[in-house]
Amino acid sequence: MKPAVDPLAQLAEIRTIMERSSRFISLSGLSGVGAGVVALAGAAFGHWYLHTQFRSDDVAANPYAATPYGSTFGDSSGFVRLMEGSAEARMATLPFLLGLALGIIVLAGLVAVYFTRRRSRSAGRSLWDPVVRRLFWSMAVPLVAGGLFCLRLYVHGAAGLVVPAMLIFYGLALLNASKYTLDEIKLLGITEIGVGLVAMLFPDWAFAFFAVGFGLCHIGYGLLMYNRYERQRRADPVA
Amino acid sequence: MKHAIHQLNKAFDHRVRLGVMAVLMANEEVSFGDLKETLDLTDGNLASHAAALEKAGYVQVNKQFIGKKPNTTFTATKEGRQAFQDHLDTLEKLLRRDG
Repeated sequence: MKPAVDPLAQLAEIRTIMERSSRFISLSGLSGVGAGVVALAGAAFGHWYLHTQFRSDDVAANPYAATPYGSTFGDSSGFVRLMEGSAEARMATLPFLLGLALGIIVLAGLVAVYFTRRRSRSAGRSLWDPVVRRLFWSMAVPLVAGGLFCLRLYVHGAAGLVVPAMLIFYGLALLNASKYTLDEIKLLGITEIGVGLVAMLFPDWAFAFFAVGFGLCHIGYGLLMYNRYERQRRADPVA
Repeated sequence: MKHAIHQLNKAFDHRVRLGVMAVLMANEEVSFGDLKETLDLTDGNLASHAAALEKAGYVQVNKQFIGKKPNTTFTATKEGRQAFQDHLDTLEKLLRRDG
């Protein structure tokens, strides 16, 4: 006869329920790698676009060429000229930058959801349970606040502070959300805040810091998490 | 000496009650809906077991209204946390004795 109390099974079940109800652990490292690649591509595209927009000294092709910054040819960073240029030039570029930012967010989000859903499905977990909802809101609030703050910074003329602010707010959002998911997310958050603080000192290099913070950091931590939690399991199906 | 199995708390005899307490140990305050979803239960099932735990004084049931919608949340009481911890300790003791 089966014993009425199986302490091992009970303890194991309690441990699973406690963890499952408070943390989302099916986050895939490949999500980070994918999002990082999207961010790198976006940064490169944005850099290239600003470079071509703010390089030409042909007034017909480029209405901003007459400004002191638009006329300097062959400068390596179109962003510097945009940053120091007129308010009109900034406003004219805003739709492009907003579109780029939204494009990166949507694409990176889709890639992240794809890999994480693949992992949580193999673990038999729903992707939209109470913990994931808490995780979502704990990130959404700082991110929306940060987004509006960055928009205001840009419109107000402090374009050089936009990328540092994005990195800092994103880092704070991750730090806030990390209590509901893997510990690596806390480290990633702190790293993003650090990159943002350093970026603040070098406003000319915004695109480079964007690429480091949103690109390389995601790829690095993504690979770390993949190696730690996913690779072994795939190689050893028994575990 | 009494076998440790007799020290196991009767209030946690059922899987659902064990599950409810486990969730409430790991989370400060949990709504009825979230608890139901996390443990994959029906309304009636959760309500009856939650009532049993409330009667034992282990769970506090907070009933509020958000507009016209009732919103029930649960928190583990101090006694509940202590009792659950004791239950876990007893389970461990049983394991050590048998293993």
